[in-house]
Amino acid sequence: MNTRGRVIIQVNDLHHTYLRGTPLEVKALKGVTMEIYEGEVVGIIGRTGAGKSTIVQHFNGLIRNRERGRVIVDGHDMADPSLDVRAIRQKVGLVFQHPEQQLFERLVGDDIAFGPKKMGLPPEVRRERVRWAMEMVGLDFEKFKDRFTFSLSGGEMRKVAIAGVLALQPKVLILDESTTGIDPRGRKELLSRMLHLNREHGVTLVFVSSNMDEVASIADRIYVIDDGRTVMHGTAREIFAQPEALRRYGLGVPHVTTVAHRLAQNGIPMPRVPLTVAEAEEDIWKILSS
Amino acid sequence: MENFEFLRNVTIGQYFQGDSIIHRLDPRAKITILLILVVVNSFILSFTGNVLLLSLCIALVLLSGISFRFMLSGIKPALPLIAIFALMQLFFYGDAYPPYGMEAVTYWRWGMMSITNGSIQLVIVTLMRFLEIFFLVSLLTSTTTTTNIAYAIESMLEPFQRLRVPAQEISLIGTIALRFVPIFAEQMEIIMKAQASRGADFGEGGVFQFVKRTRQMVTLIVPLFVDAFRRAEDLILAMDARCYTGGRGRTKIVRFHMARVDYLFIALTAVFGVLIMVFRNNFPV
Repeated sequence: MNTRGRVIIQVNDLHHTYLRGTPLEVKALKGVTMEIYEGEVVGIIGRTGAGKSTIVQHFNGLIRNRERGRVIVDGHDMADPSLDVRAIRQKVGLVFQHPEQQLFERLVGDDIAFGPKKMGLPPEVRRERVRWAMEMVGLDFEKFKDRFTFSLSGGEMRKVAIAGVLALQPKVLILDESTTGIDPRGRKELLSRMLHLNREHGVTLVFVSSNMDEVASIADRIYVIDDGRTVMHGTAREIFAQPEALRRYGLGVPHVTTVAHRLAQNGIPMPRVPLTVAEAEEDIWKILSS
Repeated sequence: MENFEFLRNVTIGQYFQGDSIIHRLDPRAKITILLILVVVNSFILSFTGNVLLLSLCIALVLLSGISFRFMLSGIKPALPLIAIFALMQLFFYGDAYPPYGMEAVTYWRWGMMSITNGSIQLVIVTLMRFLEIFFLVSLLTSTTTTTNIAYAIESMLEPFQRLRVPAQEISLIGTIALRFVPIFAEQMEIIMKAQASRGADFGEGGVFQFVKRTRQMVTLIVPLFVDAFRRAEDLILAMDARCYTGGRGRTKIVRFHMARVDYLFIALTAVFGVLIMVFRNNFPV
């Protein structure tokens, strides 16, 4: 969805220091600027320790900016001390790396219903929310709602954890490396389900990842973060057309894109930078048949 | 407002690299000094004695080059508990402890409760003694790595091995326990953030609404336990994979050598300790 809507998250020259005023202080963000539009899929990439997680934790108020810079989420200035953070957290859902570690209820249904319950929704509405969230991640409501949480497989637990965030019905869903540590098939399924959520339900996706193939296949636009600063931004195609620049920031390009760059070096330029295997296949067919 | 930075509050067990004289002391010397001063600490009940000991502790902290403010910030989480104890001492111990070096005066009495100059002195002295111990322990852990502390304890317990004291196991348990404190603090921060992201709120309700606060903690404690067991199993596996069999005959790569400066520090501490102990009943207040 490239039709630009309203800006839902705006970040301007954001700075953040962890453990400020202690001997352990670390400057994590030194000037991040980005805009996220309603309904789009934004990828945030960067090497380990670049500050990606720190940025997205500003989006739902887990970290409040007290230094330089501004974060505006859905029209609210996140630095405002009188801001209702819980209302923001319902709008902006954040899923962490290894989200299955956050499960605590005995039954799957109860765990997913935790958020809606905290929102004070009546039981029938809660049930509907749980049903919807489970459907979105691909868990059968009747089959799974009364299963024991801790008897599930790792992949299923992760789905339950993501459903727990989706049950808040957020406008923006942030996935912070949430696909690491699951098998390729599970990954693919999860990505297509998240994409469905974006296309059919208009949920804005913010996708933090260090897996370039994944980012290329899902993101409309990409921000590259290095050493606490925004260093590149553009559409996925624009970004992955510059492998040298990415390499400077410790990043690579998707495998299909590498193939395209190699072909170009050998005198067979591709009409566009392919982002998925399907695109590459289509283009190679075109070249071969001409 | 919530603050998720737990490492800010855990100062005990946090090691800071440095090159001060305290850092360079033999860990066994540091532990010996700690033990001497803890014994002294438990005997002195007077203002003068505690002022002397507290000054020594502060001097040692300054000598180590570790930020004083940061060290003090470690007391913050314990403040409510300290306040409760102080109030109980103030109101209920009025008659149990006659004041040191003063005529007993009762300021206020109501049934079982009373405030005397004895109980006021007790509160102040207890706070000072707490601070002394707190500084000493923080100082040991912030200038000595946990592995070195463990090796030192093991080496100091060695003579007792003939009496079947499992020195090596004791030091291993200690190391593991200390090692996991920052890991669990970090893990707790992650889980807390994850739960807050889906609507949990921590810190709601006053400090004294125990039930409410405890209920909020369930969402943290269950995942934290699950994680702890998982880590314990991983650790067992990792030790097994390295053929750890523990106990006897294990050689070490690190060997400590007591230098002249170590003996000097121990001797000075011992002299200080003996002097205070001998004169502890002769202080004016």
